[in-house]
Amino acid sequence: MDINFESFVEWDNNPFILFSSQGKILYLNNAAEILFGYVSKKELYNITLSYAPQNFGYKTTTLSLSYDSFIFYAITVGYENEEQISLRLYNAPRIQASQKLETDKFITTDINILLEANIALFQTKNKNILNLLADQDLPDFKIDQNNFSKLLRKTLDAFRASDSIDISLKLLIGQHVMIENKRISIVELSIIANGRYADTDNEIRALADKSQIKCLLKEHMIKLEVPLVQ
Amino acid sequence: METFFTTSDQIQHIIKSFNLTKTLFVSSIIIGEAHTGKKTLARYLFPDTPLVSGINDEEVKEALEKYDELIIADFEKLSNPNSLNFNNKRIIATANYLGNATLIDDLFAFIYTMPPLKDRPEDVNYLKTLFVREACSTLMIDEETIDISNIPLNLTMNNKSLKKSVFLDLVKLSMETPEIENIIYQYILKHLDGNDGYREHLGLYERPLIKAGLKKYGSQLQLSQVLGINRNTLRKKIYEHHID
Repeated sequence: MDINFESFVEWDNNPFILFSSQGKILYLNNAAEILFGYVSKKELYNITLSYAPQNFGYKTTTLSLSYDSFIFYAITVGYENEEQISLRLYNAPRIQASQKLETDKFITTDINILLEANIALFQTKNKNILNLLADQDLPDFKIDQNNFSKLLRKTLDAFRASDSIDISLKLLIGQHVMIENKRISIVELSIIANGRYADTDNEIRALADKSQIKCLLKEHMIKLEVPLVQ
Repeated sequence: METFFTTSDQIQHIIKSFNLTKTLFVSSIIIGEAHTGKKTLARYLFPDTPLVSGINDEEVKEALEKYDELIIADFEKLSNPNSLNFNNKRIIATANYLGNATLIDDLFAFIYTMPPLKDRPEDVNYLKTLFVREACSTLMIDEETIDISNIPLNLTMNNKSLKKSVFLDLVKLSMETPEIENIIYQYILKHLDGNDGYREHLGLYERPLIKAGLKKYGSQLQLSQVLGINRNTLRKKIYEHHID
């Protein structure tokens, strides 16, 4: 029997890429397509070559790789001829949220208003210039307004001494999070500047965790992935 | 509706932020020195919201159970703010000082700082005009006849001291000998006691006399002639009253 595995690979949640010997992409699955929004082809090809087995075959290496919010704990590189080489990255498991979201207590909110109010609050204390790029058509969704406001305040405060602060708010197309067995869209708020304070990172994490918001704290950036609970 | 006048950028941002969150269920607090207009601002933004004072813990607790929207003034006076539950309520609090920073940080989503009057020169001018009008109407003085640019302004206690300095200055303008005597009379009636009363209260007369005289005549020599006392006596009195 001839089995076609391609669609299984296509819809695998772990990124899979097939390169030619010149580093051209011959095939990539859905997960890899999203990943390429955050990492260059060249970088992944270099990794593929670095971790390739010495002879024809497959080699799995445990390592820690992270691109933006994607974290991988291992990769498998394999080749059976001189023309094609494959890279498969294994998603690190996301930490299960410790608290249950009490969505019935949440109030439907226009996130843009909350964000603007927090920016106004930030501007009462700081003279920094903010550039805001927001999607005004984001649907209203349910959130704990008070907790989320605290999170926004702390997040913005981390940039109190930064220059050129860029804030963007957008829907992450094609990405979802599962909350109580429901597929829920994600809104991403990202704040990028030339630097930031990290003194309240733990508080930011705790507040984010409370609303099941995934937060990514980097040296120049904070990203919040907010579940769009309807 | 009551208006709130300000040219301060900082306060404009506070107003903007409040206007945006007016319909949301979030907790906010305005912190700033006494008499800077915190309560007036809260009232201006939320004219129909019930208001309670932190002086009375029980009253605050009861109001929290009853209303979804509440102004809590004098928040720093609450003896047990830990026990308050602001979940899904619209709370606007005002406080004269921060107090327990961690607690405030935990309880409130929006923490605003009200700048003191000394940082808001244009607001001072506006308020001064407002108080002068009020004082003129109360004291029945014709506004046209006074020069308000010379009023010395005291901003140490923000609006309170500003208002007081305007009123005092205008009262002074309208005072003649009988009123001045009457004021000293009332003052002495209240404060006279002990066994050195004459010397203690002499300053009430001598200090302004010498200060004004020096300002008017410049030199001690000239002033002693105008006052008709010996130059050494004048010098002694200047020393006694610590006049520079």
